[in-house]
Formats: sequence, structure tokens, C-alpha cells
Amino acid sequence: MSNGSRSSIITFEEGWNEIRTNAIDRLEDILDNGLRETKGNMFGNKDYIKVYTLCYDMCTQRSPYNHSRELYQRHGETIEHYLTQNVLPSIRSKVPQGGTILLNELQFRWSNHQVMNKWMTKFFNYLDRFYVKHHSLPTLNQAGLKQFKERIYEEIKRDGTRAIIGLIDQEREGSMVDKTLIKKIVELYENIGMGNLDSYINDLETPLLDATREYYAKKREEWIVADSTPEYMVKAEKVLIDEKNRVHDYLNPASEGKLLRVVEEEILEKVEMILLEKEGSGCRVLLANDKSEDLQRMFRLYSRLENGLQPIASIVENFICDMGNEIVQQRQSRLDSGEKDNNDDPAFVKALLSLHDKYLGVIKTDFSGHSIFQKALKDAFVEFVNKNVGSYTNAEFMSTYCDRILKSGGEKLSESEVDENLEKVVQLFSYLTEKDLFADIYRNQLAKRLLNGRSASNDAEKVMISKLKMQCGTHFTSKMEGMLSDLAVGADQKGEFDEQMKQHDCKIDFSVQVLTTGFWPTYKSPSITIPDEMSQCMNVFKTWHDKRHQQRKLSWVFSLGNATVRATFGKKTYDLTVTTLQAIALNAMNDGKTKTYEELKEELNLEDNVLKPLMHSLCCGKYKVVLKSPASNKINSSDSFQANSKFTSNMRKIRIPMASLDPSHNAKKVEEDRNHAIEASIVRTMKARKTLKHQQLQAEVLSQLAFFKPNPRVIKKRIESLIDREYLERSAEDSQVYNYLA
Amino acid sequence: MFDDIADPDDDSVATMEGISKLCDHLGIDPLEDVKILVLLHKLQASSKPAQITREEWMNGCHNLGTDSINAFKALLPSLELGFMERAEFRDFFKFCFKFNLEGTHKTLDKELVVALVELTLNDRIAKDRLATFQEFLNITKDTSYNTITLDQWMSFLDFSLECPDLSQYDEEISAWPVLIDDYVDYSNGMKM
Repeated sequence: MSNGSRSSIITFEEGWNEIRTNAIDRLEDILDNGLRETKGNMFGNKDYIKVYTLCYDMCTQRSPYNHSRELYQRHGETIEHYLTQNVLPSIRSKVPQGGTILLNELQFRWSNHQVMNKWMTKFFNYLDRFYVKHHSLPTLNQAGLKQFKERIYEEIKRDGTRAIIGLIDQEREGSMVDKTLIKKIVELYENIGMGNLDSYINDLETPLLDATREYYAKKREEWIVADSTPEYMVKAEKVLIDEKNRVHDYLNPASEGKLLRVVEEEILEKVEMILLEKEGSGCRVLLANDKSEDLQRMFRLYSRLENGLQPIASIVENFICDMGNEIVQQRQSRLDSGEKDNNDDPAFVKALLSLHDKYLGVIKTDFSGHSIFQKALKDAFVEFVNKNVGSYTNAEFMSTYCDRILKSGGEKLSESEVDENLEKVVQLFSYLTEKDLFADIYRNQLAKRLLNGRSASNDAEKVMISKLKMQCGTHFTSKMEGMLSDLAVGADQKGEFDEQMKQHDCKIDFSVQVLTTGFWPTYKSPSITIPDEMSQCMNVFKTWHDKRHQQRKLSWVFSLGNATVRATFGKKTYDLTVTTLQAIALNAMNDGKTKTYEELKEELNLEDNVLKPLMHSLCCGKYKVVLKSPASNKINSSDSFQANSKFTSNMRKIRIPMASLDPSHNAKKVEEDRNHAIEASIVRTMKARKTLKHQQLQAEVLSQLAFFKPNPRVIKKRIESLIDREYLERSAEDSQVYNYLA
Repeated sequence: MFDDIADPDDDSVATMEGISKLCDHLGIDPLEDVKILVLLHKLQASSKPAQITREEWMNGCHNLGTDSINAFKALLPSLELGFMERAEFRDFFKFCFKFNLEGTHKTLDKELVVALVELTLNDRIAKDRLATFQEFLNITKDTSYNTITLDQWMSFLDFSLECPDLSQYDEEISAWPVLIDDYVDYSNGMKM
């Protein structure tokens, strides 16, 4: 009972009529005849308030004149009526034309509905505040939306979806389409779900995914036949970018993942192997021709798939393997065509290093350093790096290659070049199975360099050892480090010993290098008769040494020492750099004496296998300081020798090398050490596990052996040996199981 | 009875001479008949190879209830290998190896092994298995097989019983000694 013109109860029919006339009819009229003409608010404040109040009054009248229920009903019916009578036929009429025309109409009607819903809610607003809440009914807005959904949306959604997909396909083919329109329709689908995306997903997204799949399946079939792999990939990449943009432009973000997944499946996954193996343009061809950009694209594309990279990595591995095998084969060919087999093959090592460098780079640049490709590189190298051809192992070639770099007078390299080279060799070394063999050879060569003073740089030696240590652990390099420390200690003590020597008026400049047994390789030490001058010096040292280290026992190794002999031939004097043994032999030939082989042999107390190479170096090498008769290239026990009085050379300082009396490495010792290592591993494992099946024991042992990989039979033999020595027994219950015997 | 076969230099033991004499008494040929080994096994003559001590003899006779040569003769039929259960045969087989060792040696010469398996395994394992194994030992140039260890000896028996079908043999996963691996290679090589 609020405003002037009303003083009595409003009947429903009265009230409704007024609402109908003032609000609803006007509203429908405006909607039908174009909203655009209406500027500003459709209903002025005054008019609006009138309707609102009318509704308010009708809802607040006392029973039985409270018309809330009827009003709520009429609200729904009004909208329903409008939609079914006006809107639906109009939309239906556009269906045959489909496409943009249908969508435009739908968009128009949807837009209208939103306006209608807004005003209908505003007019009947009072219902929302009490009636709706009181009866737990849908709000006016929800009710209105529900009407649109049921009367319009459900009727038209299939056609709508078809129209949208049609436009999308057109856009895919390159035409321009009205993106804004599509986006607005998509919003309809989104909102019609009334709080969730179910309608969008079921009615639009799912059909769209199916259509997309179909579309790209067709494209794929066309392209895969006609295009090369790089061409196809360019197209594929573009498609993926386009589809992603599409989602951003007018689809719901939730669709991105699903849509891209469908596209990836159709254009990438289903043809992966065909693409990779395409003749003339597949992965191998790209690798062979260094097609970096194409490979990068391939990597980018196939990274998207869960298992997309493995097939590529396999091809890469095979390719690198083939290239490596070719390098090995080249070496074989050189040997077959008569080249002399030697423990040094720098061309071979360089080729391997070069290959490694190249593909390390390829993996970094083209495959983003992905671990699956790093593994492919590693597996490939492990495959061929262990293929030895000829009499020497690849382990030896690698070690000798290092020797070249580390010894003085070898390759001339700067400090950083040395480091770089060593780093690369260590990488190659990491692929070797027989690392213990490398270690043995390396130690022997290191010892030679150190003892003959032919190491170019102590720092470089340390650098190499530390690289090996990083790769293999402390145990691997402990002996090498021991060798270096022996030399350091020797250098330290030299000063002290020199003082001692001064006190003893020895005729020779003398110094001693003490080696700790165990660090150094074992050397044959021929027992040669020492001239007095030398033994005098030796005794001085021994006395001095024994006083300092009472626990230590010294034993002299004459085959290792070096000497400088001042030799005068005629009027000229030379400084000859020779081994200790050579020095002693030269001493015996002093003053132009002639001696027969047998005389020398007795005087020096040497065996043939030492004396012959010794004399050979003095008589048959480049610098013939001693003459033998009869002259020839071989030392015979019937020869006789005399100093070469006619010897002459341009140089003042001459080095006369002698063949080494010791082998490059001790293959037998390596084998023994391996057997020990295997047995230690077996015992260790069995002690911990007490009882173990054969297969497991074998697997465990193999995993523990870092520096070589024994054949299963070798492991078995060690097990049998341990059974024999009662460390283990076979289980009585199961012949395939071992028990530890405490 | 023991005094009759005891060693003249040491009457606490009976050596192969005395055992041979026993065989004469019993009417069996020690080289051809496995029963003497079975008997020695049952008497538990296990302290040292190629002999039986007085004490072992005494205890053994007591356990077997043999107080005379005739009693022994009566026992002979029951000494057939066919009567032995698998477990007992296994013990016997081990005994055969150990009993035939020479002095402080821990292995048997392969010629002896070839003869012994003939004696002991005939009728216990497949004939062709036995024959090919003997052939293999005779032919092989691997000098490490010139002598056979106890482990190899026992394994051959266990292997023959457990693996009658060589086509199933997988060297990669089996724990059998390398001798067996080599034997299987030989045997399969033959069949190919």
C-alpha cells in the first residue's frame, strides 16, 4: 500500500496485464526490431520503478492475494513463449543456409536473450529476494537461461556445431573467417552449461576433436606421399602453431591440450617411422648431410610425444656406430695393404676423436643435449671403440696418443691445447671396456717419461692424472700419483744428497732416483758388473740412505738409469746421452781397446738378451760410436768391437737411444689382477648375501667391476676355483644356488 | 677277518692289496665290479683314499651284521647300484671320487674318471649321455680338463639327472661348471 494510484488489492489479471503491456510487450518489441536503435537504457528509471513496484506489491499482498507463485510461473512461461514462437522459427529458417548465416542469427538471438533475461530479472527482481530463496527455486536468471537452453540450444546445437566446424575447416584451408562470431558462439556453449563446461565439451569440443582428427588424417595421407621429410615437418610445425593460435583466438583454453594431442597423434605419431626412414630424406640422410635445421625441427616436433625421441635416438646411434665401424675398417684396410703394425696409430685415434667431437656437437645443437641422445652417442662408441684390429689394442693407441702429447719433443701444443686434447682422449677412454689394460700401459709409458726425463710438463702429467681420477676414482690413479710423488720427494732430497757427494770426492756427477715398489712397473734388472767409479758413488748413496730410512731396502735397477758420457773422438768432444748400461759398455771400450763379444759378455756379466740390444744401439744405430767387425746390422757372438775413432757429427750433444728391455705392459699381470678382482668381488658379494642364485651373483659381480668386463665363463671359472678352495659351496637344495662358507 | 687283509707294515689299515685279497675271497673282480666300492662305502671307509682302517672295518661290520666271509657273500646281491635311492647314490658317488684320490692330490686324472663313470653311472644315467661325456673327455684338447675336480665330478651327476634335455640348456644363466658348458657345446656340435 505504497503509492498513490493504488488503494485496493491488485488482482493477478490486473497486475499481469499492466506488466504485460508496459514491460514485456515493449521489451519484446525492442528485441524484435533491432536493439541498435535504442540508445542508452531501454527503460527509463521511472518506467522501470513502476513495473518493479507493481511486482513488489503483487508479491507482498496478503494471502490469498499474494501472487508470487503465479508471477514466477508467468515469468518462465513468457520467456518460453517468446523463444518458441519468435526465436526458434527464425533460427530454424536459417538452418538450410548453415554456416555464417546460421551462426549470425544464433548470435543475435543469444545476445537478445541475454538482454531479455536481464530485464525480466530486473522486473521480477523481488521474487529473487524472497520467493525464490524460500522455495529453493532456480533464480530468475537461471530459469531464463534454462529456457534458452531447452527451447533453443538443445534444438540447434548440432547444426551450430556443424557450422562452426565448417568455418574452422575453411580457416584451415586458408580462408578468412569471422573469428569474433565463432568466439561469441563458443561463449554461448560455455555459458549454457550453467556453471560447468559439460555442454561445451560434449556438444562442441568432442565433435570438433573428431572432425580435427579426420581432417588431419586426410592431410597426412596426402603429404606423406608427396613430401620429403623436411618438407613434411615444416608443414607439421606450422599446423601445430596454427591450431594453438586457434584455441587462443576463439576456443576455450581447456581444449588446447586435447586438440594439440589429436593433431600430434595424426600428423606426427602415426607416421613417425615412415618419416624417419624415408628414402632420400629420412633421419639418416639428414645426419649424413649435416642438415642441422631439419634435425632441430625433428627434435622439437617429436619431443612432444611421450616416446617420440627413442626411435630417432636409435637411428642416431646406428648411424654413429656405422661411422665408427668404418674408421675401424679403414685401419684394418691399411694393415691388410701391408702397413706395418705398430703400437702407435695417431691417425686412427684422431679420426675417433674427430667423430666424437662432431657428434657431441650435433647432439648439443640439434638435440638440445637431451640425455637420450647422449646415451645413444655413448652406446655407439662403446660398440666400436672396443673393436681391436691388428696386434695392438685401442687402449694402447689411446695411451700412446697421450704419450705423444705429454712427452717432450712430441706434438707442439699450447697449455690449453694440451688440456683440450687430454680432455677429449679421456672422453674416448671412458668408452673402453678394458680400462685396466689402458691403466697398465699408461703407467708403463708414464714411468718411462718420468725416469728418462722426457716429460714435457709435470703439470700436464698431473692434469691428465686428475682427469682419469675424475673418470674412474682414486683407486685407478693411486699408483700414478705415487710415481709423481716419488719424483717430487727425490727432487726435495737431491740437494741434501748433493752435499753428501761433495764430501766424498767422487769422480762422477751422480744422482739417484728412489722408486717405491708397487707404484712403478716391475722391471728386469740385469746384474751387470759395475765399474769402480760408479760403485763408489752407489755406496755413498746407500750409506746416506740407510741412515735416513733404516726400514727400507734398496735394490738397484741398472736398466733404468741415464748417463751423460763425455766422449772424445779425434780432436772433437761430444756429450753422449745414453743409458747406464750403454755408459758401462762404453767405459769397457775406452782407450780404443778391441774386445770380442765373448770377452765383453764375461767382463760385464751380461746375458745375450741384454748385451745384444745394448751393443746394437752403439754399433748399428744412427750414431755408430762403436765399430763392430764384421760390419752388419745384427750383433753376433762372433763379433768384435772397437771404439769408432773416425766418429764425427755436427752436433755436440747426441742422444743414443736403446731398445727397451721391458715390454710395453704386462698382459699376464693384467690377467692375474683381473682374476683377483673377480674373486674378491665374488667373495665380497657372497659374504654379504650369504646365499645367491648364479645369475644374480654374476650380475652383481659384473656391476662391481668397473675397469673391465669379463666373459661369463671367466667368472664361472673363478667361482669353481673358490668352490675348490672352500670359500663357497653349491647349495644341496638347488644346483643353481651358491652358499657362502664362513 | 681284518688281520687277513691288513697291511703287513701297518696292521691298523688295509690298503688296496688287502682289499684286492678280499675281492678274491668274495669272488668279485675289483676292476670290473662296482660292488667292492659299494661295500667300502657302506663300511664307511672314508678317512683316507685307497684304504680302510681297522676301526672303520670293525664298526662297519658291526653295522652291517657281517661277521664272516659268507656273510659278506650273502650281502653281495644287495650291493647292486639299482637298489640305491638318489640321495644315497649321490653320497656313494662322492665317496667313489674321494676314495680314488692319490695321496694328497685333490683331483682325479681324466682317464680314471672315464673308467669310473663307466663303472658307477652305467644304468644310472642315459646311455648316450654317458657315452658322449666319455668321448668328450677323451677328445678334448683343453689341458685344464686333464684332471677333474670333485665339483666337476658331482656336477656331472647332478646335471645329468636334472637336465636330460640338452636343447633346453642355456649357458648364460646356468651355474654348472664350464666343463659342462664345453661338454654341451661338444654334444650339440656333434648333433648338428
